[in-house]
Amino acid sequence: MGRYIVHRLLVMIPTLIAISIVVFTIINLPPGNYFTSYIAELQASGQKADLVRIHFLEQQYGFDRPLWQQYLYWVGGLLHGDMGYSFLFNEPVNQVIGDRLLLTFIVSFTTIIFTYLVAFPIGVYSATHQYSWSDHSLTLLGFLGLATPNFLLALVLLYLANVYFGISIGGLMDPHYLDQPWSWGKAASVLAHLWIPVIVIGLGGTAAMIRRLRANLLDELQKQYVVTARAKGLPPLKLLFKYPLRMALNPFISDIGSLLPQVISGAVIVSVVMSLPTTGPMLLAALRSQDMYLAGSFLMFLAFMTVVGVLLSDLALAALDPRIRLQAGRRQ
Amino acid sequence: MSSKSLLLLENSEKRRNGSRLSPGRHRGKCAHFRLFPEFLPSRVAYSAGFAARRRLGQALRLRPRAIPGVALLLFLALFGAAQARLVETPYFAAATASGRLPAIGERVPQQPAVARSGTPGVPGGTLHMLMASPHDTRMMVVYGYARLVAYTPWLELVPDILASVDVADGRVFTLHLRKGMKWSDGHPFTAEDFRYWFKDVAQNPKLSPAGLPIELLPRGEVPRFEVLDETTVRYSWTQPNPLFLPSLAGPDPLYIYAPAHYLKQFHKKYADKTHLATLIKQYRVRNWAALHNKMDGSYRNNNPDLPSLEPWILKTPLPAPLIVFERNPYYYRIDEAGHQLPYIDRVELTLADSRIIPAKTGAGESDLQARYLNFDNYTFLKRGEERNRYHVRLWRTGPGSEWALYPNLNTEDPVWRGLMRDLRFRRALSLAVDRHEINQVIYFGLGIEGQNTLLPQSPLYRPEYRSAWAQYDLDDANRLLDLIGLKRGSGGIRQLPDGRPAEIIVEDNGETSEQSDVLELIRDSWRQLGIRLFAKPSQLTLFRHRVFSGAAVMSLDKGIENGLATAEMPPWELAPTTQQQLEWPKWGQYFETKGKAGEPPDLPSAIRLKNLYQQWLAATGHDQHIAIWREMLKIWADEVYSIGTVAGIPQPIVVSDRLRNVPEKGIYNWDPGAYFGIYKPDRFWFASPVPSAARAASAAAHR
Repeated sequence: MGRYIVHRLLVMIPTLIAISIVVFTIINLPPGNYFTSYIAELQASGQKADLVRIHFLEQQYGFDRPLWQQYLYWVGGLLHGDMGYSFLFNEPVNQVIGDRLLLTFIVSFTTIIFTYLVAFPIGVYSATHQYSWSDHSLTLLGFLGLATPNFLLALVLLYLANVYFGISIGGLMDPHYLDQPWSWGKAASVLAHLWIPVIVIGLGGTAAMIRRLRANLLDELQKQYVVTARAKGLPPLKLLFKYPLRMALNPFISDIGSLLPQVISGAVIVSVVMSLPTTGPMLLAALRSQDMYLAGSFLMFLAFMTVVGVLLSDLALAALDPRIRLQAGRRQ
Repeated sequence: MSSKSLLLLENSEKRRNGSRLSPGRHRGKCAHFRLFPEFLPSRVAYSAGFAARRRLGQALRLRPRAIPGVALLLFLALFGAAQARLVETPYFAAATASGRLPAIGERVPQQPAVARSGTPGVPGGTLHMLMASPHDTRMMVVYGYARLVAYTPWLELVPDILASVDVADGRVFTLHLRKGMKWSDGHPFTAEDFRYWFKDVAQNPKLSPAGLPIELLPRGEVPRFEVLDETTVRYSWTQPNPLFLPSLAGPDPLYIYAPAHYLKQFHKKYADKTHLATLIKQYRVRNWAALHNKMDGSYRNNNPDLPSLEPWILKTPLPAPLIVFERNPYYYRIDEAGHQLPYIDRVELTLADSRIIPAKTGAGESDLQARYLNFDNYTFLKRGEERNRYHVRLWRTGPGSEWALYPNLNTEDPVWRGLMRDLRFRRALSLAVDRHEINQVIYFGLGIEGQNTLLPQSPLYRPEYRSAWAQYDLDDANRLLDLIGLKRGSGGIRQLPDGRPAEIIVEDNGETSEQSDVLELIRDSWRQLGIRLFAKPSQLTLFRHRVFSGAAVMSLDKGIENGLATAEMPPWELAPTTQQQLEWPKWGQYFETKGKAGEPPDLPSAIRLKNLYQQWLAATGHDQHIAIWREMLKIWADEVYSIGTVAGIPQPIVVSDRLRNVPEKGIYNWDPGAYFGIYKPDRFWFASPVPSAARAASAAAHR
């Protein structure tokens, strides 16, 4: 097992290097750089760009050097934990991301918990009551959630929440809490604003999860060991939770790999529509304005989280499912 | 226009002329100055201003040397009387009582500017506005509009921060500062601040590698700068420099002064070496010049420590989701009652995504909002008026055309380039645009149809500029195309000389869907000319890149920026002067870079325009400026370099019901205008100011 982990950790290095090259190349593919798009934006709105200052910055940040040198400069910084400087926010990238990470975690964790809380009971119920009236109606609901565009739902809920509950539109708290330290009032304001993004982001995921759990569970319920256990007179609930449900859980554990980056990036489109102070809109803004270091470093951070997440989920699977563990042992 | 409004117009002109001491001296300027009454911001409110100016007439001062036409209204303050009546600002009452801040008499200049427009108000309150980008702090410099000289709502250039300006022959400018005026940190604002900028910033090769800004270099000539005394400086050239004063009054002005006492600590010449070295390390910059650059930035407005002259000064270290501005305790303007302006104590900018700003505004979260609101938000905003206690006003916008088509005369494709340079082709395309339909379908008929040229509010306007080749006439258009020899091929589509079908790809920056809507309508009418139009929305940077390089054949963008120009404003938009001009980017670039890049113009009419522009720069008198403008406008109209559609599209302005002195009707324009700037937001005030927390509570209870 130890050797396995070391092996996996070593494989991560070339993977990350490859990702960093791809990320850097793609960000630099469009013509120009942050400054040219900034100048374009200024001039399009009739303002004059301070070309001298911009030329100055370009030199200072090495935009006049060849691309490979810029790449090495960036990667070198990453290794020291220096993610570079965000031109868009006029701040080191670490700080830009750091400010937003906490709220992103809150939104994402609440969403995941919401998804699990809703999806699990429904999934189990509709699998055990297959093709019943209630299964059909729950399925219909799930499909509705899957089919409604998230951003549309977000807009509708925002409007209704504002008209009926007086909650300010967009953001995660009332504007007058923005510059204040954390307090009960602020936390309450966050909770009052949190439910909309949680429902909106959660609904899409919930529907997908219900369908998957139902399908997995149905597979298991047909199997002979279930029939045997039933024939032996095991109580239905105990039977369900002890055997088929545990089997049906495997896909969820392997999902943890993709959950980790999701928790950090948040749901981009919904966050943009709802103007949430999370990392999603930041990434979008960075990509649009070619804020190279911010976009690149954040994408690298996501890539790192994905790689780590996959490793963790593999380890968790091995720990939870003896079959996987034993097969892995046999191959070695 | 109805006869009634014409009458009003006449009256308003009479009244305006009546307020002048010596109309003979300003001849021309007033006679050509026309404003439609509907654009006079809140006529009642401003009549007080007229009366005041009539009184002031006796004090109006124009030095004998001053040339006629440079109509600078010189506000002489009635300082003796005003000073006696100064009222302490409640916001600073505690600070002055405890001695942390000097009393108001010490804070305002000995000759404060006395604001007389609008109704006198009550100090206090917090103004909430929504912004989308951390860079939007500069909007407070635009709205604040404290300038050395500034435009009035009637587009006259008057001294603002300056007590007065003397201009001789259009080339010697003597600026008189207000005695006793101070920066926002209490340090005196003097000639030293001008000297420091001119000698140590603008002419320091490290700080300004490109040297002096172009506005100070008529034909490359460096001005002679003199400090006459503590509060008087003079810039003189041997030839006229008409760009000088307008550039000081811009929304994004040319700063010819800098807070020397603050910036010297970052300047190698003045700073202590070891201290500077620690600062460079602390801010992680490369050298002292980078540090100076970072700390200076009056327009960027992102350094809370940088002293300022604006009505509100930044208080929040950036970046922050909520940006707070506080009133400048040393502001130079007062009202008739002796209150120091601004009336409003604090301004809070909340950052939100630009796409959600209309929704937030509609929910009553902004007291004054126009930025990020579009005409298509109007109905939604209107619906929230009652519930959220605001009103939506419609102001006119300033561009010469909301959207204009730009045939790219520098396109790479030789066949298309030939056609685009063919006057008949451009005219035919223009004749086949149904402007009335665009106006009705997209703008509810509220726009002004016609070419991309000056607006009726401009004193230089003539109806024929706007109507030239702008009537919808398919027969004429088809005849012109037949004359060129473009034969119709299969499906009625005309063929280019090399046999390709005439398919024009019109590129736009993809920022709004309105652009696609306009192109959709034009496509239908061009189809009847036998020309196919394809719209290609792209992304801003890419779009401009393609136009500049000549990859794009035709583009759609805003019309000319300044549809309100007066003869004193440079007519650069009508001549190939910069790469930004989508009709001839390479010719513009050639001019801009003095021939280092781009191509020299080779159409006689474009060369003529360029020469006229240069003549305008060298001209001295108002009459010469007018004559040159007229000729350029005429060529511009004849040649149809850009195809205008509809102009003057209303801009929704959301104003809280408690906010006073915001004009009912106004012009929302960048330059001249500075958006709210020319209406001087330091005069805006809140009726019955309620603290924001109480306001939120009452709003919640209301719901």
